[in-house]
Amino acid sequence: MSVLKTENITMKFGGLTAVKDFNLELNQNEIVALIGPNGAGKTTAFNMITGVYRPTTGSIIYNGQRIAGLKPDAITRLGLARTFQNIRLFKELSVLDNVFIANHLHLNSNIFEATFRLPRYRREKREKLQRSEFLIEKLGLKEFMNEKSSSLPYGLQRRLEIARALATDPKILLLDEPAAGMNPKETDDLTAFIKEIRDEFDLTIFMIEHHMHLVMGISDRIYVLDHGVTIAEGNPYEIQNDPRVIEAYLGVSEDAED
Amino acid sequence: MGHMTLDLFLQHLTNGISLGSLYALIAIGYTMVYGILRLINFAHGDIFMMAVYFSFFGVATFGMPWYAAFIVAIILTALLGMVVERAAYKPLRESPKVNILVSAIGASFLLQNLAVVIFGGRPKAFPTVKLLQEVMTIGSVTLQRLTLVIPVVTLTLLAGLLFLINNTKSGMAMRAVSKDHETAGLMGVDVNRTITLTFGIGSALAAVGAIMWGMKFPQINPTMGVIPGLKCFIAAVIGGIGNITGAVIGGFILGVGEIMLVAMLPSLTGYRDAFAFILLIVILLFKPTGIMGEKISEKV
Amino acid sequence: MKRRNIILTSISILLLLVFIFVADSSFDAYKVRILNLCAIYTVLGLSMNLINGFTGLFSLGHAGFMAVGAYTTALLTMSAATKQQNFFLAPILPPLDRLNAPFLVALLVGGLLSAFVALLIGAPVLRLKGDYLAIATLGFSEIIRIVFTNTQRITNGALGLKAIPSTTNLWWSYGAAAFTVVIMALLISSSYGKAFKAIREDEIAAESMGINLFKHKVLSFVIGAFFAGVGGGLLGSLMGTIDPQMFKFAFTFNILLIIVLGGMGSITGTVIAAFIISSAGELLRFLDQSINLGFVVIPGISGLRMVVFSALLMVVVLFFRNGLMGTNEFSWDKVIGLLQRRPLIKRRLGQ
Repeated sequence: MSVLKTENITMKFGGLTAVKDFNLELNQNEIVALIGPNGAGKTTAFNMITGVYRPTTGSIIYNGQRIAGLKPDAITRLGLARTFQNIRLFKELSVLDNVFIANHLHLNSNIFEATFRLPRYRREKREKLQRSEFLIEKLGLKEFMNEKSSSLPYGLQRRLEIARALATDPKILLLDEPAAGMNPKETDDLTAFIKEIRDEFDLTIFMIEHHMHLVMGISDRIYVLDHGVTIAEGNPYEIQNDPRVIEAYLGVSEDAED
Repeated sequence: MGHMTLDLFLQHLTNGISLGSLYALIAIGYTMVYGILRLINFAHGDIFMMAVYFSFFGVATFGMPWYAAFIVAIILTALLGMVVERAAYKPLRESPKVNILVSAIGASFLLQNLAVVIFGGRPKAFPTVKLLQEVMTIGSVTLQRLTLVIPVVTLTLLAGLLFLINNTKSGMAMRAVSKDHETAGLMGVDVNRTITLTFGIGSALAAVGAIMWGMKFPQINPTMGVIPGLKCFIAAVIGGIGNITGAVIGGFILGVGEIMLVAMLPSLTGYRDAFAFILLIVILLFKPTGIMGEKISEKV
Repeated sequence: MKRRNIILTSISILLLLVFIFVADSSFDAYKVRILNLCAIYTVLGLSMNLINGFTGLFSLGHAGFMAVGAYTTALLTMSAATKQQNFFLAPILPPLDRLNAPFLVALLVGGLLSAFVALLIGAPVLRLKGDYLAIATLGFSEIIRIVFTNTQRITNGALGLKAIPSTTNLWWSYGAAAFTVVIMALLISSSYGKAFKAIREDEIAAESMGINLFKHKVLSFVIGAFFAGVGGGLLGSLMGTIDPQMFKFAFTFNILLIIVLGGMGSITGTVIAAFIISSAGELLRFLDQSINLGFVVIPGISGLRMVVFSALLMVVVLFFRNGLMGTNEFSWDKVIGLLQRRPLIKRRLGQ
């Protein structure tokens, strides 16, 4: 069953077309990867889906609803959460606060109830705190709960970003280079972990990734972008054997990155 | 403007253009600094004020001939601008923007209050220059010779500045730094020197504006830079911040607009200073890039 | 909260009450005035810190909000006769001549009107960022001042209002300061306060976590303006005289100095800095005035006090970027930890 579909979304910056006619379809509980050389327009595609950019043309349909042009917060509220390529944590805040803040969007209490700690807020806060602690533990960050998020090592910061995204209670999780900066062992762990959270939280996952090992081992389907154009689409086996992909991408993949 | 005669209209228009030219000269300094540092140089209006005092003291206290005093004032002001940059902005180059803004506001107030302490808070009268302030009549329009001189000086300086920026090595360095500090540095441009030079040029132009301002509005005091400073920043925004020709156009729009507003709707005279701010807010809301500016978008 | 902390807090509150009682009954007018200013500047500093320090919106419109509060409170507390004396150039616009309210109501109405103005201004302006926001809010503040200078029959124009009933005393000012501190502390530690901080840290990430930027910025701006209005009302009543010149950018500058010195994003820091700056502001007055030592008169230099203040602001921002407290807050655990020279107990969270 398709949960997200983009129809010919195109993004132009001035005279430059960053992404052209991108057609994506995500089915329930799939893990789909988006690959392509640097500057291919992958993050731009992400930014259109999550509302950071409004597509120049084309539409995005999520569970039957057109979402192109909605603000990022509205899109997150509908159930699409993301991480960032160049980690965007709330640096001065603690690990717990980072995750707790991502619960804020589902808070029903108004600012008055919250400030004066009225019963509804107290109940909601207790629930959200529990959920945050659960997610932090799930991601193995329990011992760092009260540390400033910027003091975590790089790999853990990436994990915290995933915990934070999960806290928004998404249906679709978009991961922008989750394995960037990780060593092979960590990357293997990540592979297992992504599958685990997909099953546990009933997610559909769409990710940008450069580590071919990870991508090929985990993805149900793969889209390949080059210069903003989709040059291939298919399962890992098809992609690995697609001459256009080999030409555009695989030849320069792993050692050129990071 | 049904009841306004053509003569009266021309009279107001010349006054507007003249005032606009002064705004333009100050606005250039804002726009150059913003272009290169992405920073509102809050102290610019106060540097302008200091220039007025420098020329005042040159003539009144040291008895220099006016042209000599003016040249000295321009040089001193340029130096002052460079000192402000080195002391208040350079140490914060890598800091969060808020800190730089606070420092800029601090520098502004420091200059203003130093002026009160050193020059005294009471208004002084700027020396008159007979040659420029003689009244003459063209057709039925009566004006000071100065009113005609101001736009000519402004446009000449604009042409000179554009030549400098487009055709000299220093100009090229400025353009490079305004695009990207790091890359410019890697290409062998002395980034700090270029930024200091930008402040120097911007301040020198403000000094020229200040001297003509003093002749046109001879009552001078230490807070006289505040309102022109704000207005000229607004002029720079209207023209498209970072764009020098835009700043001049913005200055003209503001000057002419202000004079015409008061001329046509005298009941709004009290709101004259609000005009610029309202214009600013309208521009920011509907065309934040101004008339000639480029869009800068944040990378995600 | 730990039992020990509750006891310590109760003792401190009691000591403060005793101090106010003693000060109110036996201090001379000059000292009482300084103490009043300290408390009022605490209210003003906190209100600006909510917007600038906690939410990261660089707003320079504070003087405008204070003006709205000060004028509203003054007009609501002045008697019909005083109003008539004030408005001799042009009569006051009815029904303002007869409107009257108790001080508390007048303060709250001042705060609410100020908040309403912030809502009107915020709707367009809060879409801007960084220095554009700074200049636009400064512009609006100036527009408010210009409007107040020209609405002769409402504000008495450039003449200002004189003989405002001086209701502000230590109980009022410290009551307001304590109220503001408590509300701010509760707000900041709530889910909304954390959302404000998230916006300060990274707008794009905050928005991607489902935080409606505009709504939260407006909330912060409006609440800040409310307290600025209340502070303005208290100040007007303390001074007895207000006019549009008072609410120039220089006033905003003073409050900015307080939050930068105390630490952008620290309630504790703001309180400390408010006391330092308002006491220093009064104590350094000698710099501006001549001192008569009996045998010799040292001439004062007008403006020197503000030179000291602006230099102070620059020194803080150039050399001590986090101010006194950074984003840290006071807690008994920390104080006791310090006293016992033990490593600081890690800050408890969630509270």
